Amino acid sequence: MILNYIKIAFRTLLKNKGYSFLNIFGLAIGITCASLIFLWVEDELSFNTNFDKQDQVYYVPTNQNYEGEWRTFYSTPGPLAQDMLDEIPGIVRATRSSLEERLFAVGDNSITRRGRYADADFLDIFSLKFIEGNRENAFRNPEAIVLTQETAEQLFGKGEKALGKVVRVSNKDNYLVTGVIEDLPNNVSFPFSWVAPFERYSDGAQWMTEYGSNFSDTFVQLAPEANFNTVDNKVRQIVQQKDEGSDTYAFLHSIKDWHLRSKFEGGEIVGGRITYVRLFTIIAFVILLIACINFMNLSTARSEKRANEVGVRKAMGSGRGRLITQFISEALILSFIATILSIVLLAMILPQFNLIIDKNLTLGLSNPLHILSLVGVAVVCGLLAGLYPAFYLSSFKPVEVLKGLKVTEGSATLIRKGLVIGQFTISIVFIIVTILVYQQIQHAKNRELGYDKDQLLSMRINRDFIPKFNVVQQELIRTGSVDNATLCNSELLNGGNNGSGFKWKGGTDTEDVLISFRNVTQSFFETTGMEIIEGRGFSNNVEADSISVLISESLAKMMGDESPIGNIISREEDAMEVVGVVKDYVYGDMFDASDPVLFMHYPAYARYMFIKTKAGVPINEALSDIEAVMKTHNPAFPFEYTFVDDAFDAKFKNEQLIGELSQIFAILAILISCLGLFGLATYTAEQRRKEIGIRKVLGASVSGIVKLLSKDFLKLVGISIVVAIPLAWYFMQDWLQDYAYRIEINWWVFAIAGIAAILIALLTVSFQAIKAAITNPAESLKTQ
Amino acid sequence: MVNKLLSLNEATRTVNSGSNKVTLLDNINLQVNEGEFISLMGPSGSGKSTLLNCIGMLDSFTGGGYTFLGEPVHSMKEKNRSKLYKEYIGFVFQAYHLIDELTVWENIETPLLYKSVKSSERKGLVADMLDRFNIVGKKDLFPMQLSGGQQQLVGIARALIGKPKLILADEPTGNLNSKQSTEIMELFSDLNKEGVTIIQATHSEKNASYGSRIVNLLDGKIVEE
Repeated sequence: MILNYIKIAFRTLLKNKGYSFLNIFGLAIGITCASLIFLWVEDELSFNTNFDKQDQVYYVPTNQNYEGEWRTFYSTPGPLAQDMLDEIPGIVRATRSSLEERLFAVGDNSITRRGRYADADFLDIFSLKFIEGNRENAFRNPEAIVLTQETAEQLFGKGEKALGKVVRVSNKDNYLVTGVIEDLPNNVSFPFSWVAPFERYSDGAQWMTEYGSNFSDTFVQLAPEANFNTVDNKVRQIVQQKDEGSDTYAFLHSIKDWHLRSKFEGGEIVGGRITYVRLFTIIAFVILLIACINFMNLSTARSEKRANEVGVRKAMGSGRGRLITQFISEALILSFIATILSIVLLAMILPQFNLIIDKNLTLGLSNPLHILSLVGVAVVCGLLAGLYPAFYLSSFKPVEVLKGLKVTEGSATLIRKGLVIGQFTISIVFIIVTILVYQQIQHAKNRELGYDKDQLLSMRINRDFIPKFNVVQQELIRTGSVDNATLCNSELLNGGNNGSGFKWKGGTDTEDVLISFRNVTQSFFETTGMEIIEGRGFSNNVEADSISVLISESLAKMMGDESPIGNIISREEDAMEVVGVVKDYVYGDMFDASDPVLFMHYPAYARYMFIKTKAGVPINEALSDIEAVMKTHNPAFPFEYTFVDDAFDAKFKNEQLIGELSQIFAILAILISCLGLFGLATYTAEQRRKEIGIRKVLGASVSGIVKLLSKDFLKLVGISIVVAIPLAWYFMQDWLQDYAYRIEINWWVFAIAGIAAILIALLTVSFQAIKAAITNPAESLKTQ
Repeated sequence: MVNKLLSLNEATRTVNSGSNKVTLLDNINLQVNEGEFISLMGPSGSGKSTLLNCIGMLDSFTGGGYTFLGEPVHSMKEKNRSKLYKEYIGFVFQAYHLIDELTVWENIETPLLYKSVKSSERKGLVADMLDRFNIVGKKDLFPMQLSGGQQQLVGIARALIGKPKLILADEPTGNLNSKQSTEIMELFSDLNKEGVTIIQATHSEKNASYGSRIVNLLDGKIVEE
């Protein structure tokens, strides 16, 4: 019996090639699209789940109070790890850690890699798998370093033993390789290429032993039997116990939540990427639904063609159940063909998709879960798409259909219209979302930044380089390719390097304002293009300016209406005199107002050099000039740089991703919907052949008939627009709430989306309508 | 001894057309014995097809009694009714109503599938039937590749495959030329001699004459036997 169904299904498919194509292709696109999303979701959910003790390991962030508001940081006081281990029962391991980038050299071979300074417990907490050396002894030697396999191979060559060899770090220290560990998987939210003892980093510095400053990351491992709430409660108290009056407290944050749930507001988790993971999961199902709707619509629309078969089969003794089984089997066969096609499409699209989302997803067809999911999707789609047509078709009365009476469609027509409205509503929502996300990104990108990010290079430097800076600066300018250069302790676009506890005269008492420090050279403002709106910049003389500071506009405002020039800003025993005000600039969160900034003339802390190349000089030429200068003065370091405008674009990665994905989904949703609409238009035109013929005989014009046939569909699209606009408005209003610096939603966005939908629908339908309208009526009437 | 196959007692069929109640069959009384060959005659709209459909249980009477092989069809559940006609009734249509997507073989096989006959048995039965109708060579063709007469042969073969007691034929030769018509009617005549009861609806006096009994219908009533 089943064999018989399959046979018929294939013959029906082959007989109606156009219809089969619309169905299979539409469904395959839907399944492909959903599969891509599911692969992405799977990867997102798998973050940090590859560690043996993943359920017991916690990151320890701190909430710090500034201006009455809790802000969350992943930095903790230095002594916290040891104190937690000593005093809180249930914590069995703890480590300090700091993420750093270092230059490694073996002979002439040098590379830079990010890695972590940490305590020995780090190796156990993350159950690092040693290929060479072992976990117990790795950190015995204070000069030890553990490298990942990839790093070791880069340094010592493939297949070479690294254990016991010496590697030169930052061109000044020697580290002894005491272990090689397996490379970390891609889905780790804190990748590192090496681990070295923390003491080598802190080097007995006082700030590492105090509670006043927050510098290191802290990770802990709980005992398997420990109660999370009990331990967490103690963790929340410990900072204030150790440092009375502190407005900081630490808490536990599971490493499994780190990737997906690390958006904090007022000290509480309010979501994070999980929002997008959920959103896209819903979108995946919505797209599958749209594809299934096509199947339902086309099946019921061409029911007349199958009505006869239903009648004959019933007369031959088939019960309704058997017909339902038959039609559902057909839908299932179709959806399985679509699934197979979608695997082919997936294999073709995946590399491109990986580029967009910046991941390395694979089809993983050897993974039983993936196969199972595909089969599941095929079955669900088959059932979803086939169920309604099956019940509808099998309900025909044999007497009526065999007599050739017209099938009274009734409910089917109504449902079909509803489904078309559903499809187009979703498509229009996607169009609106795409436009608004794009607008929001552009809005933030085009905002007044307060500096000129173009032709600006950023380069990491080490301390040895700082004394050479003035010479290098002069030589760079002399090449003719460079406008200016400067040093700074922080990347231009990044936050961090901040503190509070400042006092000043006048204005509000705001000792708990969080202020960022930027230690710069005199040329900083000119190089970056920041504008000094009051007072003066720094002089050439570092000593003379040792207590001079420039402040940002927002800080000046906090000091009151009077000119801040000459005001003294103090913190503990340090006092600084304000000599100038700099226009506010955007850093950290590109969508938010940035924290106030204090600029100090203190290049000794610099870690970055910014170079502004001359306008009009080809960038390759400028780069080779700069490289020549750097090779002379900084020969041990590879010539590595980033462009600030690239870094700027990277800041929008998340939004860019949302924008690109919603664009893809919008196109796909429209494509699938149009396939369906095209199919429907074809059948409507076919059904109304006789009517059109009669109308033409009676003198109707071609345009009149095209209008007649298109009108009904456009009405549906019109209703979709009305439904979609408030929906999209609501979603996007909600999404925009996350951004302090955001666009207003304009009515014309809705107008554009609506007009686009109407045009696309018109284009789709009119082809069939015109075809029907220009048919010779003699032909269409003859066949009746 | 003559066995009674079915009997209609004051059987009535009405439909609602808008607010009007239209009577299609009006108090029909009819007895059919096994082995009869009845021709229903009457002008278009006289109720021939409706009567056939109701007897064949594709449609049902709205009033009166219908007994088939001693069982009261009028008070039966849909499921049992379907079982009954699957077992005992075969249909032949004017427009043949073969399934276009199926070959000759598969079309003939279909009723057996619905009776859940085993595969090996099905093969034998279909092969016999093809043999008997001399259409073995056509078994892999689709209906569209056959002439009207051949299609109707397949239709009859399909009706017979389930070894029904009763064949209901609604204008079986309506779409055929006279030569084909004669062939089909001869076939019915032979089948009747083998013991199959046949009720046919027809316009043609010639076709009607093949039957053992003629029932004339007019406006839903039996006017003459």
